[in-house]
Amino acid sequence: MKLLTHNMLTSHVKGVTKGYPLLIKATEVKVNEVEFNPKFVCRMIPKLEWSALVQAADQLGHREELPGELVADYEKNEDFLKRVHRVLLEVEVIEGCLQCPESGREFPISRGIPNMLLSEDEA
Amino acid sequence: MPPQKPYAFATYRSEDDARKAHAQLNGQKLESGGNAVTLYLSYVDSVKNEGEASVRFPEGLTLLEDFVSPEEEALLLAAVDWSTSTEAQKALKHRKVKHYGFEFRYDNNNVDKDKPLPAGLPQECLAVLQRCLHDGLISVLPDQLTVNQYEAGQGIPPHVDTHSAFEDTILSLSLGAKAVMEFRHPDGRAVPVVLPERSLLVMKRESRYLWTHGITPRKFDLVPACEPRSAAPEPDVSSHSGLTLSKRGTRTSFTFRKIRHQPCCCAFPSACDSRGGNASCRPSPPSLPCCHGDAARLEEEYVHRVYDAIAAHFSSTRHTPWPRVCSFLSSLPPGSVLADVGCGNGKYLGVNPQLVTVGCDRSGALVQICADRGFHAFVSDALSVPLRTASCDACISIAVIHHFSTQERRLAAVRELVRILKPGGLALIYVWAYEQEYNKQKSKYLRDHSKQHNGEKSTGVPEESRGPHTEPNVLTSSRLESKHCGDLKDEGKLSVHTNRTAFNSQDLLVPWHLKGRKTQGEEESCCRFSSRGEPSPVSDSSTSSDSRTSPNSKPSPTADANQVPGGTAAPVFHRYYHVFQQGELEELCCGVNGVGVQTSYHDQGNWCVVLQKE
Repeated sequence: MKLLTHNMLTSHVKGVTKGYPLLIKATEVKVNEVEFNPKFVCRMIPKLEWSALVQAADQLGHREELPGELVADYEKNEDFLKRVHRVLLEVEVIEGCLQCPESGREFPISRGIPNMLLSEDEA
Repeated sequence: MPPQKPYAFATYRSEDDARKAHAQLNGQKLESGGNAVTLYLSYVDSVKNEGEASVRFPEGLTLLEDFVSPEEEALLLAAVDWSTSTEAQKALKHRKVKHYGFEFRYDNNNVDKDKPLPAGLPQECLAVLQRCLHDGLISVLPDQLTVNQYEAGQGIPPHVDTHSAFEDTILSLSLGAKAVMEFRHPDGRAVPVVLPERSLLVMKRESRYLWTHGITPRKFDLVPACEPRSAAPEPDVSSHSGLTLSKRGTRTSFTFRKIRHQPCCCAFPSACDSRGGNASCRPSPPSLPCCHGDAARLEEEYVHRVYDAIAAHFSSTRHTPWPRVCSFLSSLPPGSVLADVGCGNGKYLGVNPQLVTVGCDRSGALVQICADRGFHAFVSDALSVPLRTASCDACISIAVIHHFSTQERRLAAVRELVRILKPGGLALIYVWAYEQEYNKQKSKYLRDHSKQHNGEKSTGVPEESRGPHTEPNVLTSSRLESKHCGDLKDEGKLSVHTNRTAFNSQDLLVPWHLKGRKTQGEEESCCRFSSRGEPSPVSDSSTSSDSRTSPNSKPSPTADANQVPGGTAAPVFHRYYHVFQQGELEELCCGVNGVGVQTSYHDQGNWCVVLQKE
């Protein structure tokens, strides 16, 4: 699971109102090389929940010196974009789980894939 | 080495000898019984011993060899007057059939018990029948005879002889040539039985009432190499030591049966039409669910478990993105966040790389395929998508909602799609249409009926049908009467759809024939000898659906692919679908607040809508 995906995921356990962002408990993390596309990263940034991204990167120990808040004029800052690219698309959680911050319910991540299925009474 | 094919293994004393043999023989053309054959030799590390234990005959089955003398055989064959077969029958190249005593009807698989045929059984049969009586094989003389004549390449689909039509014991005399008959149990076990010329097959009890029997239409059978001794009544075709090819000749069978006048009271009610059972090798089909719990269970059995089982094969047939879906994706502004709910094998996840795309699917196996391809995906249910409300610029749901078995659930799925959209966001939904023919244009699904290759909807193998092959009814778009039943029987049970024909009902089970790495068009002969006498080389085991079908092989009219003696048949899975009528998808979407239908159209057998969130 890449952090881009994590940024979009939320807990959907019945009754939970503060299910975002999910906490990451990783037991295996990999860093891959992914082609850097500055334009694409630029367009992605406004769609992200920045603080959730930073928090997630922190939990994985891959914060890459990302600032707590978005800098201005990041479009031209290639160094910054490269670091965002790395955190969003290159760091990958292979094994572990995502935890609902409100209910504590854990969703397993296996072979890089989060399983968000709920049981009948949780849905 | 492609599986389910016959191979011969030769061992040489020295490497040198082997090399010489390979150099001399590989690619050599030979003449074999009128066919030109090319030998292909390959080295293998070891011979895999797939020797299965000797397979036992189905309970109640007996084979008596040399039951009639050659003279009697000639007399019986001469007794049948085939001159009355029609031009049409000859043209169709179907096995020839003739009935005596009572007419067997292939439309209802039963006998007209009130209308006996004027001539009874031919008197030439009397001697044989007396012998059966005398030997205690039967206690009453049969009063119905069906003579079938099979030329090489002809067969009969697997079936159980109708319980209510005939009494227990069924006798079948094989004349003129030998053939292999396959018996299949509902649990999947398959037993091939060699029927030598002049042998009598006696079917009783389980072998008559429960197992299906059939003859694969092909020109060669795999049989034991050594002649079975009559003291060993159960020829072992499944052991892989000592197998050889047996070329089919023209075989004529005389099947003697006794008409049943009372309802059947056998010990096999599941296959008994007198007791509401059905004789095909399938468990009783489900009913339409009336509550979420039942619906979830139905979908678990007939959607989720199936996709997990067929994922790899399914994915190999889903590789061409539909153009109009691609246009939708390409029309989205770069950087848009897109969710593909029910993404399957990720077919659409990479179409527009400028989008921020995430896919989800209920099938872990399919999501794994997405991940292997480098796409972002997770496992979830479409009824509860773990994405935040108003987080997506667009979403697509292609061929997903038709798997939900109640209207409420289909509505809930649409609501989820709308929930995750930002205001102004667009959703594209595709569902399978009841009306496969639209504006007089048949959908690809129907058109592929004659082509027999994997299409976009499902593997197109016609369901077994008995007797002459009939053309499918093509329904032009018409409103379905609420009481009209075709696939849906009166008791509210779902029934199985015949692939690549028009739909008779909106709720049905659609077969999926799981294939290994075999290409289509190989049903005819187990070693690819074609009717033109030229063998096709063992092809690469490509799983792509546009793999070439061998130009020499002929699709079989009663396809039951992957039939090899000693092997089991390809498993069939059934997926539940609710196919949508014209206007139904729009109507469904109108039931969701805060969204409007922007466009609505028919695309290749699907009803489609584009929704916009207010």
